[in-house]
Amino acid sequence: MTPKRKRLWLVLGSVAVLGCAATLVLTALSDNIVFFYSPTQIAEKQIPPERRFRMGGLVEAGSVTKSPDGQVTRFKVTDTNKTVDVVYRGLLPDLFREGQGVVAEGSLGSDGVFAAREILAKHDENYMPPEVAKALKDSGQWKDGKK
Amino acid sequence: MSAHAVYVMSAYLVALVILGGLLVSSLATRNRVRRELAARGLERKK
Amino acid sequence: MADLHFLANPARFRRFSQRVLPSLAFATVLMLAVGLYMALIQSPPDYQQGDTVRIMFVHVPSAWLAMAGYALLAGLGASLLIWRHPLAALMARASAPVGAGFCAVCLLTGALWGRPMWGAYWVWDARLTSMLLLFFLYLGHIALSRAYDEPERGDRAAAILALVGVINLPIIKFSVDWWNTLHQPASVARLGGPSIHPSILIPLLWMAATLFLLFVLLVLLRTDTEIDRRRLENAELQA
Repeated sequence: MTPKRKRLWLVLGSVAVLGCAATLVLTALSDNIVFFYSPTQIAEKQIPPERRFRMGGLVEAGSVTKSPDGQVTRFKVTDTNKTVDVVYRGLLPDLFREGQGVVAEGSLGSDGVFAAREILAKHDENYMPPEVAKALKDSGQWKDGKK
Repeated sequence: MSAHAVYVMSAYLVALVILGGLLVSSLATRNRVRRELAARGLERKK
Repeated sequence: MADLHFLANPARFRRFSQRVLPSLAFATVLMLAVGLYMALIQSPPDYQQGDTVRIMFVHVPSAWLAMAGYALLAGLGASLLIWRHPLAALMARASAPVGAGFCAVCLLTGALWGRPMWGAYWVWDARLTSMLLLFFLYLGHIALSRAYDEPERGDRAAAILALVGVINLPIIKFSVDWWNTLHQPASVARLGGPSIHPSILIPLLWMAATLFLLFVLLVLLRTDTEIDRRRLENAELQA
């Protein structure tokens, strides 16, 4: 083996070993790397009340209600499998809309209602002008933002 | 432009400052190194 | 003899870069003018995000170039460590700050996009965190390559860092698929084709091509300078 060959294999081998190590570490830590849990995961995990975490999903269409003074918003977050009731006091981000993604940070109350302290809007990967979106909706070709 | 124009404009400004700064500093370094080479009598080889 | 070998490739590189740099600069300026018109005036607002979507036209190409730049560093690192290519170390020194610059643009414009759309400048989700890590890898590369008295040792240490850090690239790309993130999934490079309407996709690709030219321009220009600088250092050593 020429020295060049040897160095080539050494470099390729080291990168492969490091890649495997990184994969193992990231797989082991994947529960901590996720930014939020879905309602289904929350149901599986039995998270104790008052523990802070983030929950993400879609704002269920038609579920948003506001208190008369407009300060308190109640809505449901769904992953189409399970649904969690959320209550939030404060200003909502612009992109907070029914049917759109949302990430809420807060904790579950003993009544099973998620009390959110912070709401982040999640937008999907579709970009188009308003006329196109309208035309798609009118012709019934609208696909849901999420699979 | 909408109410968020300030974010859009700052984003383009940030890009201009960083990328423009890179270009200006690259040109300045090139000229400085060339001057130092010339001062040592080492003209650039074509 | 060794000195001649060192100059062989750099000399050819220099002839090449001097021939292309003027037309490259001209093309970049021209494309940037058209690109900015498309990005800021001609393209339509997004149905959800309105005009804020225009940040995408600098944010996304910067992210691509920051990642491509690191892939370049890794390739140059391998070519230095394995084949001892004389130009690789100089080009790596020249391109690391360029990649870091594009990475900074990506992070900052992302923050300015996140605040109005998500409601936060920054969150520690997997995509944003791995992109920040990329920026620190760039800084580490720049620092390592300058950390030794003999530049060759710095070049090799930085090359090793570039190869180690290349593992971060697939993590950045697939972070949005592997873990729940606040950042949305891929829109352009994805199975099933882009999910961006052509009226927004074309300005995006145009700006990507423009910034790519700027990236190449900066790397060629700075590599040229690094060749001169190395000659200067060699002359000082001999003096």
